[in-house]
Amino acid sequence: MSDDDALTRMRHAFAEVELPATRTLDEAYAVKVKYLGKKGLVTELSRALGSLPPDVRRERGQQVNALKAALEQAYDDHCRALTEQAEQAALATFEDLTDVVAPEPGTLHPLTRTRRALERVFASLGFDVADGPHVELARLNFDDLNIGPDHPARDMADTFFVAPPPGSRWQPGDLVLRTHTSPVQVRTMLERTPPIRIVALGTVFRRDDDATHSPMFHQIEGLCVDEGTSLADLRATLYRFVSALFERELQVRFRPSFFPFVEPGAEFDMQCPFCGGKGCSVCKGSGWIELGGAGMVHPAVFEACGIDAERYTGWAFGFGIDRMAMLMHQVPDLRLLFEGDVRFLEQFPC
Amino acid sequence: MLISRQWLSELLTPGALPSDDAALCAALTSLGLEVEGCTRHGDGLDEVVVAEIVAVAPHPGADRLRVVQLHDGRGVQTVVCGASNVPAPGGKVAYARPGTVLPGGLAIGAKPVRGVDSAGMIASEAELDIGGDDSGILVLPIDTARGQSLAAALPGVRDTVVELSVTPNRPDALGHVGVARDLAVRLDAALQVPQLALPAVAPAEDLVALQAPSRCGRYYGVAFEHATVAPSPAWARVRLHRLGLRALSNVVDVTNLVLMLWGQPLHAFDRAQLAEGRVVVRCAREGERMILLDDRELTLSAEDLVIADAREPMALAGIMGGQRSGVASGSSTLLLEAAWFAPAFVRRSARRHGVLTDSSHRFERGVDHGDGLRFACAQACAWLSELCGARPIALQQRDGELPPPRRIVYRPARAAAVLGLEVPSADAQRILAGVGVALDTADAAAWRCVAPSHRPDLEREVDLIDEVVRHYGLDRLPMRMTPPSAPATAGRPAVRARQRTAAIVTDALRECGLHELVQMAFGSASALAVTGDDAAADDIVRVTNPMRTEAGVLRTHLLPGMLDAVALNLARHGRPLRLFECGRVYRHGPHPVDDGPCADIDRTLPHEPMRAAVVLAAPEPAEASPRRVGEALLHALARLGSAATVRVPAEPVAWLHPGAQAEIVADDGVVVGRFGRVHPRALAPWSLPRGAGVCYGELWLERLPDLRVPRYAALPRFPASARDLSLDVAVDLPAGVIIEALQQAAIAVAATGDDPPRLVAGDRARAAIEWLEDYRGEGIAAGRRAVLLRLHYRAQGRSITDEEVHALHMRIVDTALVALAQRDGALRRR
Ligand SMILES: [Zn+2]
Repeated sequence: MSDDDALTRMRHAFAEVELPATRTLDEAYAVKVKYLGKKGLVTELSRALGSLPPDVRRERGQQVNALKAALEQAYDDHCRALTEQAEQAALATFEDLTDVVAPEPGTLHPLTRTRRALERVFASLGFDVADGPHVELARLNFDDLNIGPDHPARDMADTFFVAPPPGSRWQPGDLVLRTHTSPVQVRTMLERTPPIRIVALGTVFRRDDDATHSPMFHQIEGLCVDEGTSLADLRATLYRFVSALFERELQVRFRPSFFPFVEPGAEFDMQCPFCGGKGCSVCKGSGWIELGGAGMVHPAVFEACGIDAERYTGWAFGFGIDRMAMLMHQVPDLRLLFEGDVRFLEQFPC
Repeated sequence: MLISRQWLSELLTPGALPSDDAALCAALTSLGLEVEGCTRHGDGLDEVVVAEIVAVAPHPGADRLRVVQLHDGRGVQTVVCGASNVPAPGGKVAYARPGTVLPGGLAIGAKPVRGVDSAGMIASEAELDIGGDDSGILVLPIDTARGQSLAAALPGVRDTVVELSVTPNRPDALGHVGVARDLAVRLDAALQVPQLALPAVAPAEDLVALQAPSRCGRYYGVAFEHATVAPSPAWARVRLHRLGLRALSNVVDVTNLVLMLWGQPLHAFDRAQLAEGRVVVRCAREGERMILLDDRELTLSAEDLVIADAREPMALAGIMGGQRSGVASGSSTLLLEAAWFAPAFVRRSARRHGVLTDSSHRFERGVDHGDGLRFACAQACAWLSELCGARPIALQQRDGELPPPRRIVYRPARAAAVLGLEVPSADAQRILAGVGVALDTADAAAWRCVAPSHRPDLEREVDLIDEVVRHYGLDRLPMRMTPPSAPATAGRPAVRARQRTAAIVTDALRECGLHELVQMAFGSASALAVTGDDAAADDIVRVTNPMRTEAGVLRTHLLPGMLDAVALNLARHGRPLRLFECGRVYRHGPHPVDDGPCADIDRTLPHEPMRAAVVLAAPEPAEASPRRVGEALLHALARLGSAATVRVPAEPVAWLHPGAQAEIVADDGVVVGRFGRVHPRALAPWSLPRGAGVCYGELWLERLPDLRVPRYAALPRFPASARDLSLDVAVDLPAGVIIEALQQAAIAVAATGDDPPRLVAGDRARAAIEWLEDYRGEGIAAGRRAVLLRLHYRAQGRSITDEEVHALHMRIVDTALVALAQRDGALRRR
């Protein structure tokens, strides 16, 4: 048997018999190692060349190198074929993805959404969020806000009174469910030194129950106390606020009004965000939407809170979060907000 | 408050009022006099004219009808009329020509009535909607010129009535004069108010005795004789009708007209009914009784001020007259009261007795005690003479303690600082003078002002600044952003942390596919009882004046409100429910408070901790899983960075299923919540569909560990090693107990030495101990289960060997099994 035949047989055994029998890359690799590994058959042949005479070695060397290259080529081809086959086999399956449905998304209550939107906008305007109790001292809810015991404005808020617990230092009439978020103004002014910029958002209570009033509802109150701040700053702040909230430029207008804890006091309207002031069904054609009350902090309130009413000026504003939520989401009836029908709640997924 | 445009126009320079009603309303609104409604009257009455009766004859075919010939200025018309008060020839009536459509919608035509041709109609006040009298036709004064339209003869026929919502600081705007005064400034017009003098009669000495000077600052008493009590003339009746008042008799009508003109409540006593014909202004005697005009009987106290005669109370001062004080048809002598009562006393008295009247409404806000009171009194005297023929015979003025003049310094510079707007001095002075402020501007920087008695609300400089900007126009206010003088003072970190915690919990529960709801904070005795609270207990927060009795307490728990929502939803549609709420509950009692100046107050107020509650409910119990409630709550805690665990509660609650409840323990060992199936008995009050399953859980936010900024820990550099543990345990030995025993054992047997292996989170698991399988059934005895756990070990700075892991694992397991054997004697490794 000539050496050439041996090389031919080796090529045949590798490329035609052993390699095609393999079905995985690992098996193919094992065959490759058997021939071309450190102790492989072809490697042995190369090693054996050293013992041949130089003229034979040269020719024989070329033959062995050609064999090596041929085996490498056969191996690469086979591996490529195996990879392709595996890929095709993997792709031959079918996964039905068309039956995918969304898991039921959770939702935030429209009041929470609105509240957060308000907090976000006022945070961007430099306001910090303050808080206070729902059961409040009548003094903080009324007296310190310039609403004395005989002030007719006490009628403006029909108040729920809370019975003092046994042993309490308070008398009947001293504890109330807060009728507005304004006592948070007083608390903040008692606790902090100017400059003050806060908003207070929260639950308030009034003895009122019909299609447009609920005994429990929600308000936001803003307060700024600083040297040199004025009604013009209040107007600018409200203008920036409504424009940022509705992401379009909306004007704000004041109408004179009366709240005992501000003077001058006003009610403020914003241009209707739905028609931009042209008039539509939401604004009943007027182009304006009433929002709430605003004004310059009354010096009597500053005095009750120990703030120098000559050195500082301040302004405050407030409006209903429920009404804002109803406006933003076009909710027609206040009662929908509180009855908890999931078919209502799930309408606010984002 | 209803305002007649016609009357307003009579109080201002002619032509000053905008002719357009909308413009008038806009002007009022811009002055802070909020317009609630605006109604035009008399538009269809152009062809209603003054006609003169020419002849009256009986109707040939009907006893009750008459055939009237009248002249309407164009010619003689024949009208069949059913009224009994058709005046004699020469008398003047209101004749509606054919074609007129009356305010009630009736179209007037020309057609025979029982065989007699009849064109048009002779109308009553009620048919024309200019009065309330429908007993007969309207008869006009005999000197009214025929042929003119009725609207020309009676100015109030065609009118616009504006309904104002007057804020409590503006008692002056509760009368036409006050509104006209504001408009005069705004419209730059002159106020033309009749400023009459009091009747020139000899001052009396014994008509009025003032015994309570601190409660009655001024009292005019005017005695009249020869009064004839009768219906008022048409102009007065129309005017009252337009303003929503019923014309009664001329005397009462006069007091009402003055009320509407000057905002000054008056009272006319029948002097014949007054013992000794005089009045005494005094405090009531304790227990004294009186019957009001509306027949209510009051028991008075010394806090009440009364107008008495020589013997007994005749009126509750400033509020309502007594039954015997009123003027009846036979009265001929009168005593007119025009007074100023101290607002706070009127308010308290009216509230105490629950008697709120137009009069008390004005007195408690503060009526004018100066010129306005005098002019109002003089006007009433003039009208009593004109309308009732009454002749004043005596007048007495008594003064008690009046509010001192309010001297206010107005600094234009301060106004500019408050407003952010410089109002020109000339405008500011014109405005202040216009509203009645007496001004001395000698010092240009500090004007000396005296507030007028008709504006009790003007007390301080800011009130004048408000007047100036109100009239100058809030719409002229610029927008300005003054930079803060310094960064705003920050709030307390604890408050912010609470807000952030609540927000994260809310987000986390929503991420679990739950829907947020907002419930009323009110509860009821029966709702409280569900969670074991007694509504009568001292710690329950009670509302003393609830709107409905079932809402008389504040909630102590979120569960009842959630069950309300469950019941409503299951009744309406029956879909499975996944709800959550984040809200406060309320309870009296000691509680931690934030430091600060309000801490002493806060300690005395109820505790209002935040709670987060989750409810899953479904018509079929199997569809609602308490596990998912627990997962949601644990997810919320995980989002707060707290690796909480769950255990069987040491003290189970009665309102959850005794065998399906658990409590949640935060990583600092504090119990922060519970969850489970709601006990069927707790559900009973809600009468849910039979078989409905409800699972509930809650987190007590006030007990949650403080939020911390997460801090980086070095990533493990060496591999962990895992060992499985298979146990045969009783089905009621909770997983939490087994895991806790292994954790305790790991602490007890911790290897010593330099960097020993520890039980820690593995490479492919977050937990050091994983609960992999829980199998019961074939091959496992009844009441037993096979559980498979995986424990992960790692050393910090080196690779660990199988041998040391094995040794540690065995020691931990052996120790734990000894401990667990006390709970489950049959427990063994498998
Ligand atoms: Zn609009």
